[in-house]
Amino acid sequence: MNLAIQTTRLTKAYEVGFVGRKTVRALTDLDLTVEPGQLVGLLGPNGAGKSTTIKLLLNLIRPSSGEVKLFGRPPADALARAKVGFLPENPAPYEYLTGREFVTLAGQLAGMQGKALTQSVGQVIERVGMDRAKDLQIRKYSKGMIQRISLAQSLVSTPDLLILDEPTSGLDVLGRQLVRDIIIEQRKRGTTVLFCSHIIPDVEALCDRVVVLIGGKLVRDGKVTELLAGDDDQSELVIEGLEPGKLAAVPNVTQVEELGLRLSARVPDKHTTEALSAIFALGGRVVSLNRSRFSLEALFLEALKTSANSVGSDIS
Amino acid sequence: MNTLIALALNGFREASRNRVTVVVFMFAFVMIFSATVSIELTVATFDRVMTDLGLGVMSLICAFLTIFLASGLIPREIERKTIFMILAKPISRSSFVLGRYAGNLVTVFFVLGVMIALFVGQVLVQGSALNHSHLASFVGIALQVVVLTSVAFVFASVSSQYITAVCAAGLYFLGHLSSDLYKMADHAKSDVVQVIGKGLYYALPNLDRLDFKARATYNEVTTNAELFQATGYAIAYATVMLVMACLLFERRDFK
Repeated sequence: MNLAIQTTRLTKAYEVGFVGRKTVRALTDLDLTVEPGQLVGLLGPNGAGKSTTIKLLLNLIRPSSGEVKLFGRPPADALARAKVGFLPENPAPYEYLTGREFVTLAGQLAGMQGKALTQSVGQVIERVGMDRAKDLQIRKYSKGMIQRISLAQSLVSTPDLLILDEPTSGLDVLGRQLVRDIIIEQRKRGTTVLFCSHIIPDVEALCDRVVVLIGGKLVRDGKVTELLAGDDDQSELVIEGLEPGKLAAVPNVTQVEELGLRLSARVPDKHTTEALSAIFALGGRVVSLNRSRFSLEALFLEALKTSANSVGSDIS
Repeated sequence: MNTLIALALNGFREASRNRVTVVVFMFAFVMIFSATVSIELTVATFDRVMTDLGLGVMSLICAFLTIFLASGLIPREIERKTIFMILAKPISRSSFVLGRYAGNLVTVFFVLGVMIALFVGQVLVQGSALNHSHLASFVGIALQVVVLTSVAFVFASVSSQYITAVCAAGLYFLGHLSSDLYKMADHAKSDVVQVIGKGLYYALPNLDRLDFKARATYNEVTTNAELFQATGYAIAYATVMLVMACLLFERRDFK
C-alpha cells in the first residue's frame, strides 16, 4: 500500500532581497513518512518549517530539492490531491459567498456533483455546527465561524488525508472540543491526519505520533507514548502545616515552592510513598497529589534547547 | 470541465456582489439614457449622437470593468491566502487561471449585453434602425474585452493588484495607438527605431484593429471579412497571453 505522505531529503530555500541576496533555508533534508490511518502531530516554534512542509505537500510551493509524494504521486499531479482535505492557518474563504456556497464550491472543485454533493455539503455544515448560519455571507461571520466553515470545506469530499494547520485557532472551548471530536471521528474512519498546532496538550491527547521541527530540521519523530516514556515522571504534592525548612528532612524532594500558606513539593514518582510517610511523620497534611508526567511540552522545550534555541530558519 | 464552470460562475458571483461592479453598472445605465437628453442639446441627428455616445460609454465601461476585475481577482486571492484552500483541491493551476478568465468574461459580457439591450431599445423607441456597423461595433467591444482581460491576466499571475491595474490600463491606451506607432516607426530614419517600433506594434495588443465605433457613427460599412479577421486576431492574441499567464502562474510559489 502507498504511504499517505512520503518526503525524501525535502529542502526548500528562498532567495530574499534585491541587493546582497540571502538564502533562507526554510526546510532542510526532511525525511518523513506517514502511513495511512496515522494521526501525526507536527510541532515546532515559529519559523520551524511547519507551514513550509504543508505547502510543499500541497504543491503550493515547489521544493528546491528532494521529493514529495502523496499516496505515491507527486502533489503537482491533481490526482494526488483528489482525496486531500486542507484547513490552512487563519483561513480566508471567499467572503462574498455564503457558508453553504463556499462549501459547495469546495466540493465542486474536488470533483463532486449532483445529489452526492448536496448531501455531503448539508452533512458537513451540520457537523461543524454551522447549520443556522449557512446562508449568511461569510463577511458577516466571526473568526470562530470562519474556522468552522473552513473546516467543513476540508471535510466535504470525505478525504483520505486531512491536513490541519492550527485547526483550533480562534475557537472557543466548545469549538475546540468539536474539532477534537471531528479529528477522532476521522481517525476512526481511517483518515490519515497531519495535525499542526501550537496547543501541545491537543497534540498530546490526539496524536499517535509526533514530529518536531526546529530551524527547518526534523529533531524528534516518534510515538507519543515512546517519546514521553522515561524515568523522569514526577509527583506533585501540595502540603499544609509544614514550614519550608522542614521539607529538607523529607527524602528525594526535588523542588519546593511556597503557595501562600501551602507548599508544593515534587518528588520522583517511585519515591512518593516514602515522601508521604515522612511528611505525615513531621505533622504535615497532604492536600493534593498529582502525577506529573514528562509532558510533550517539556519534550518540545528540551528539543528546542538542544537546537540552541534556534527559532526561525537558517539564513546564509 | 465542471471545475472550469464552477470557477467561472464563482467569478461571476463575486463580481455581481461587488459594490464597484454594481455602481459601474448603474453608471452605464444612466449614461446610455442620457444620450436621449443630449439630443436636445446638439444639432446633430439622433442616430449619430446616440451611436457615438452609446458605443463610447459601452467601450469605456467595459474597459474599466475588465481592468478592475482582472487586476483584482487573482492578486487579491493570493494576498488574502484564499488561494491556499482552492489550489489544494485537485485542480491544475492552469484550470484555475482559465476558470477565473472565463468568470471575468461572463461578467463583462453580461454587463455589455444589458448595455446593448438598452442601446437597441432606445434606438428602436426613437424610430431609428440598427445597421451592420452597429453590430460590428458590439462584436469589436466584446473582442477588446477578450484581449484586454488576457493581457491583464498575464500581469495578475505574477504581480500585485496595483501593478496589474496600471499595466493593463497603460496597454489599453497603447493598444489604441498601435497603428500610430507603426506609422511613426515606418517614417523613422533610424533602422533601430524602425525595428523597435514595428516590434512593439506586433507585441502590443492592437485594439485599434478591433474598434469599429467610428465607422458606426459615420455609417461606414464594416465587412464580414474584416470582422472575421478581427475575431481571428483577438482569439490568437488572447490564446498566446493566456498560455503565458498559465505558464507564469504554474511556476509561482505561494508563500
